Amino acid sequence: MTKVRSLLWLCGLLLAGPAIAADWKMDPAGSTLEFIATFEKTEAPGVFKEFDARLRFDPDKPAGSRLDVTVKVTSADMNIPDVNKEIRGKDWFDYSGFPQAEFHSTDLRRTGGNRYVARGTLVLKGAKQAVEVPFTWTGSADGAVMEGELTVKRGAFGIGTGEWAAADVIGADVKVKFKVKLRKG
Amino acid sequence: MLRNDADSWGTLAKLFHWVMAALILAQIALGLMAANWRVSPTKIELFFWHKSTGMLILALVGLRILWRLANPTPELPADMAGWERAAARLSHWLLYALMIALPVTGWIVNSASNVPFRIFWLIPLPAIVGPDKPTADLFERVHGGLFALLALVLVAHIGAALRHHFVKRNTVLVRMLPGTWRTP
Repeated sequence: MTKVRSLLWLCGLLLAGPAIAADWKMDPAGSTLEFIATFEKTEAPGVFKEFDARLRFDPDKPAGSRLDVTVKVTSADMNIPDVNKEIRGKDWFDYSGFPQAEFHSTDLRRTGGNRYVARGTLVLKGAKQAVEVPFTWTGSADGAVMEGELTVKRGAFGIGTGEWAAADVIGADVKVKFKVKLRKG
Repeated sequence: MLRNDADSWGTLAKLFHWVMAALILAQIALGLMAANWRVSPTKIELFFWHKSTGMLILALVGLRILWRLANPTPELPADMAGWERAAARLSHWLLYALMIALPVTGWIVNSASNVPFRIFWLIPLPAIVGPDKPTADLFERVHGGLFALLALVLVAHIGAALRHHFVKRNTVLVRMLPGTWRTP
């Protein structure tokens, strides 16, 4: 009897034990990645049409989570034909040299409520910079949505070199906004 | 006198005329430079000032036309021939029409190109057409064509003013000059 009881207790312990953080995959249809530059002090929005996010994450135990994002830089679209032509070049994104950007988290923690922050490294146009990616997490029956925005300095990544480095015409700050729809899997 | 009378233009009409003359000349220089500059921050700056000045001209010409309609128009010299009167009327009408059509076609180019823009960094300019490259290209050509017409009419306008003054020796030019110039 005691044996059975201790066995049941052991089973219970195993079931109630630390939940293994789930792996999440992005649903591209419901996800957007925008970048908002400024042009003569006026917002000039663009999008990266192709990107992917992978996440190992438990909203209740974020320690040990991991966020990895790859962005196809060459899918950038600012919806202005002349500008789209210009940003391919070496002064801007340099499509031929650096077609892909990546973010890898090194640390992910909760900052309160459904707010979290992923600290990590952004590799863009060959430059590596530490960035903080704050986001909110909204779980639902069929998945979850992470949403957030951060500001990066384009100069830190050499986006806009030479005469374009000056920030009076094209602003120094670029806002990055994302909404990522995730499914367990 | 602020208002016009049958003989001369009033202070406000003169102010409109000369302020807009200066703006239009600056605007032509900015436009030609912006269009021909190589792609660079300077080109963007030139376009920024060209667009801002254009919208200022459009606002001013609206007020100017209202003021003109609300005032008597000084009469043309009695000895002018019929063709001269017709040419004067046509060129003045064209100048007003171009002061509207040039900014409006520029506005269409800006809208169709989808370039975000705030007039003098302050007032966001709403789009009057959706983003569309063929529309932008077409109206760029129309804008350029209208500019050529403006250049032609300006030459006629300035030439006619000088002819009135130096050849016909009437008051047509001096009555638009600042101050209270009056020939006896």
